[in-house]
Amino acid sequence: MLGGEDQTETSFRVTRPQLAVAGGLSLALVALFVATMPFARLPTHNTEILVPAYAAATFVLEAMTAALLFALYCARRYLPLLFLASGYLFGALMLAPWALTFPGVFTGFDMDAGLQVTAAFALLRRLAFPLFVLAFALAPRREITTNASLVAISVCVAATVLIEATLFFRDWLPPLMLDGRQVNLLWQVVPALAMMLYAVDIALLLWFRRSALGMWVCIVLFSLGIELLLISYLGGGSRLSVGWWAGRLYGLVAMSIILLVLVAQTTLVHVRLARTVAAELRSREKRLTAMEALSASIAHEINQPLASMVTNADAALRWLSKAEPRIDKAELALRRIVEDGHRANGVVRGIRTMFTKGTRERAELDLAGIVAAAAEEAARDARHYGVEIAIEGEGEGEVPPVIGNAVQLHHVLRNLIENAVDAVRAGPLRARRVTVRLSQEAHGEVHVCVADTGPGIAAEVAERLFDPFITTKPGGMGMGLMFCRAVVEAHGGSIWASANAPQGAIFHFSLPVAILSVTDAQARSGVEEKAR
Amino acid sequence: MTDAVVYVVDDDRSVLASLESLLSCEGYQVLTYESPKDFLAARCPDLPGCLILDVRLRGASGLEFQRELARAGIATPIVFITGHGDVPMSVTAMKSGAVEFLLKPFRDQDLLDAVREGIGRDRRRRARDAEIAALRVRQAALTPRERELMPLVASGLMNKQIAAQLQLSEATVKVHRAQIMQKLQARTIADLVRIVDQLAGSGT
Repeated sequence: MLGGEDQTETSFRVTRPQLAVAGGLSLALVALFVATMPFARLPTHNTEILVPAYAAATFVLEAMTAALLFALYCARRYLPLLFLASGYLFGALMLAPWALTFPGVFTGFDMDAGLQVTAAFALLRRLAFPLFVLAFALAPRREITTNASLVAISVCVAATVLIEATLFFRDWLPPLMLDGRQVNLLWQVVPALAMMLYAVDIALLLWFRRSALGMWVCIVLFSLGIELLLISYLGGGSRLSVGWWAGRLYGLVAMSIILLVLVAQTTLVHVRLARTVAAELRSREKRLTAMEALSASIAHEINQPLASMVTNADAALRWLSKAEPRIDKAELALRRIVEDGHRANGVVRGIRTMFTKGTRERAELDLAGIVAAAAEEAARDARHYGVEIAIEGEGEGEVPPVIGNAVQLHHVLRNLIENAVDAVRAGPLRARRVTVRLSQEAHGEVHVCVADTGPGIAAEVAERLFDPFITTKPGGMGMGLMFCRAVVEAHGGSIWASANAPQGAIFHFSLPVAILSVTDAQARSGVEEKAR
Repeated sequence: MTDAVVYVVDDDRSVLASLESLLSCEGYQVLTYESPKDFLAARCPDLPGCLILDVRLRGASGLEFQRELARAGIATPIVFITGHGDVPMSVTAMKSGAVEFLLKPFRDQDLLDAVREGIGRDRRRRARDAEIAALRVRQAALTPRERELMPLVASGLMNKQIAAQLQLSEATVKVHRAQIMQKLQARTIADLVRIVDQLAGSGT
């Protein structure tokens, strides 16, 4: 299954700041590369002692990256992650024997393993990583239940067996090196092969454009390619030359990219988590928690038709038990009871769709799709009042996905848009315009605002805007905005209002983007389900 | 009972219609309004009445409207109805002089009892107001001197004592006293005391 689902359906979900950082990084790498070129072939002396330090740094970076990726896999259970994590782990494991057998480094241990062994480890390391990335790129985006530790142990065992085999067959290894520093002609095959694999990987990853993680892996491969150019070609293939060391430096940078990205994302998650917890505490401190307020407003909404039904029934009975029964009056009252019954049913149905239709289901969502669907639905009613609903900002596939419940977020948007329509519909015709704007914030947040040109928010209600039972609308329940806040805060986001210039109000909410989106097929299905 | 009017303010039309039907069946004249603003803008008949008020109204709460009415000097007794009530809410309403605080859906008899009670209160208040108004008319007929004497007479002083205090002759005081009693239609001193109390109690 090449790349899983239809490729046209999966859009590029990489955020703009990420692209800018990635592009800048690539340019910096190229600049450094060009700067190194003239000196690449100069040999260095007595720099062997730096080899263990380099190896240790790379080992720590790769092992940590592998550990974080395995952890990410444990949380998300996506097969491609497992391949990438294994690739890093395998690379880290191959480093130790490479450094230990490097000629002239650990001379004190007197463990001369032979001329070709170090190169053989380098070869394994060099070719294994792009192969793992190939698997990462091609693996079906399926959720699996394989135990991560089992996979990690298997990789360790395989690596150990390979190391042992290499050491055992050291006398039969192909002649890759001429001496401790100069490579044989045969070695030229290795960088060529690796370069080819890098190119294939990059092409596949760019073609599928599955996830932000995939894009970062592209940068890694790109840097590894430069490393290889420096080491094998510009450095003249001789070990410990200026080019060789510059290449190693590139490798170090390349191997730390994914780690840095993961750590940055994790930090962001922690910040958001703290914010969510704070919001949770804040809402708990209020006398009415969201649920209590919600149940109160639902009770109110149902009691209204119930009260009307009971009173109508009482009135009908009284009209009938009069000395001269008034059938006409009783009939009118009974008709009103029928209407109220339907109304109560409507309330119950609305609550059901709002709260029972999978409110616990969370999926990666494209907010743009939800915005479009909500605006389209609201536009049907808005047209009656001559109100135009405009969507601005990013479109579908242009913002990173958020994790959330499609039905609830759809209701939030409907609520905000309908409020805005209500605010402008009584105003002058040319001002009857509601603008919904979707944008991406630099801090890993997606921002939605709904702006109107209505009368704005009165100062006396501004503070209590999101409290239950605060309404400025005829027949309003005062629960809409309260519901919005409950939903947005449950999603780890925040909601607020501001004044629009020259007049009107803007309601904003922002939601955190999904961490390292690994898939977006689910998001699509979520959006489509809701749009139906 | 067509001599009483019930005003209903509720933003739910269906509730308005049902209350109108129920109350008109009981013989009340019913006037319905969808908002406090409509109620204030309408001309109310000069009849004993009672106001049925939903607690949750457009923009503002019924409790705020109750205070607003009190400030405006509209003393129509209020029966609150609400779809979601809590204890503090009902305490506030009752403390501010509401007749009753009913939770929707309510028993019709509870509402009718409350309305009857409210109209009774309003009728008594109107009677009292009318009496005081009549007294004021009578009081207006007094001369300044008589007005000066009135509290002294009502406080139970003898003619002689009043004459000494105001440096008048006892005969003059006697004439004034007879005039006061006649103009205020008081047969006895006890009557006069009650009238002076009423006038003082209602403010001047």
